[in-house]
Parts: sequence; C-alpha cells; structure tokens
Amino acid sequence: MASRTPAVACIGIIGKLNNPLHISIFPTISASETDPLEFSFLLSTSLDIFEARLASGQKTDSSDFGLLQAIDENLAMYGWLTNTSVKIVIVIDMLGHTPAASPLTSETSAQRDPRSTLAAATGLRDADLKPAFRALQNAYIGLLRNPFYDPDHHSPVTAKAERRVGSTQISSKAFIREVKRIGDAWYPGVGSL
Amino acid sequence: MGYNIGMRLIEDFLAKSSTGACSNFREVADMISKVGFKIFLNVTPTVTNWSSDNKQFSLIFEENPLADFVELPDDGKAQDELWYSNIFCGVLRGCLEMVQMQVEVHFVSDILRGNDTTEMRVTLVRYIDDEMPPDDD
Repeated sequence: MASRTPAVACIGIIGKLNNPLHISIFPTISASETDPLEFSFLLSTSLDIFEARLASGQKTDSSDFGLLQAIDENLAMYGWLTNTSVKIVIVIDMLGHTPAASPLTSETSAQRDPRSTLAAATGLRDADLKPAFRALQNAYIGLLRNPFYDPDHHSPVTAKAERRVGSTQISSKAFIREVKRIGDAWYPGVGSL
Repeated sequence: MGYNIGMRLIEDFLAKSSTGACSNFREVADMISKVGFKIFLNVTPTVTNWSSDNKQFSLIFEENPLADFVELPDDGKAQDELWYSNIFCGVLRGCLEMVQMQVEVHFVSDILRGNDTTEMRVTLVRYIDDEMPPDDD
C-alpha cells in the first residue's frame, strides 16, 4: 500500500449548546462502510470528554484539547474549543483515505512516504492537528462575518421558541466547501491549510 | 439608497483630494475609480466599455470590500433580486449630482450572484446648470 498516511475521517463542528452545527465525513479505509449516524454518535461521546476536562480544570492555556480518545486501533478523536464554546472535533483514520477517494497522485504519495511511516511508527503528535483546527476556526470566523449568517438561527433554543421544524445545521455552501477542502488537504506535518 | 451619503461624501472627497473640476466625462470616470474609490475603499475598479458618445461607462470591481465574506442566502429570491452592493449606486449618484452631473447608475452583474464579474454601469443623463432656487413668494 502506497498511501498509509493518516487522514481525516470526519470533521464535526458543535455549537455552544452541544448542538451539531456541521458534520463532514470523508471516506477512509477503516471508516468507508461506517454509517453517518455512527459518526454522529462518536461526536456525541466526545462532548462528555470536553465537559469532564473543563470541570476538572485540566484545561491547558490554549484551546487545544489534543487527543480526546482513541476509538479503536485506527480511529482517534482530537478536539478544539473556541472562546465562544464552539467545539471542533476531528476524527483521524491512521490508515488513510480509500485509494479511490484519495486526491493524491502516486507521485506525491511516494514523496510523503517517509513521513507517513514515521507517523505510523510514532503516532500523531497533537501539534500535527493544529493547522487543521486553526483553518477550521478561521472558516467558522469567516462564516460569522457573513451578514446573512445568523448564529441564533442555528441555535436549538430559538428553533424551539419559534417552533421551527427541520435542521439547525449550517447550510452555507462556502463554509461546507472550505471544511471539505481542509479535510482533504490535511496530512501529518502539514504547515498551514 | 446611499444618495444622501453621496451628497455629504463629496465634500469629504473634495477636501481630501483637493482636485479641480474635470473637463470631460472620461476624466470624471478616472477620478471616480482612481481617486474616489481609492480614498474610501482602497480599491481601484477598472473603467471600461465606453459607449461611442462617451456618456456611458462600466466600472469592473476586481475586489469589493463591502462584499468580503458575504454569501447570499439560498432562498431563491436573493440570488435573483438583491444587488448587495447597490448602495454604491446611490453614493455615486449623490456625489455627482453635487458637482452638476445627473447620472443613472446600476449594477449589471455581481460575483455574489454567480456572475463572472462585478460590473456597474454609469450613464450621464445631463449636466445640471446652476439654477437659482425658486423664489419663496
């Protein structure tokens, strides 16, 4: 197998009230058959970890929560908390993208080979995820700067108060495109996204 | 929309740029693009598509600070009916009216709507003669 580079399997943006704002799923080797619902459950389990770490005061000075939990030998979850309590969770698959979905040409994956074997040997460092979290947070900030995006419109509280039916998830195409771009472009040791 | 902003903004423009009167409409166009938009928005739209009688031109905006980060809502109406930067039209109309030019300004395309460019069309209607205000009695 040429490309055993760890890759993003799922990106979740979760609002202040633990409401899902956006979930992007990327086809990867160990998760290619996984039900979208399963990722939704996985993201829900991560919320407890956020809460537990916040309560125990273990939180470091930065908003980086690092590794939240390893789900099995291939999948692991990493978390990030913004100042406004928006949580960003990235699920990483150590086996990488499914070959068909991989955007890499054989040449570039060959170039990355030394790095990927390194990553497989030592596991991922928390710092590897930082560029992805930064880029995702910037994407979210960009979304908030859109005058037509109303954060209240995506809160379950107002949805309930207005008796609105339907999803409160983010529907901005530009934002969804950007999240997808970040998920596809990330690899261990990437400088910036 | 923006008309009253323009009527006031022209004072600011004249104070900051300290330029004299333009001799023809082509100079006016260059002044709008290279001085006016530069001062207030730090962009320089391209002046192009002159009509043969030199009374109509287009401003093409390569970048538009007003529309940074903006994504029109996908409600089936905004994409067809809303000119997001339409306030520029009113501002230009207000400005030019204060310097004795009556113009008609409208957008013909907007990147936000999915067009390739953001283009604004400016048409000179007439030069306004200095007329005395009507007598009160």
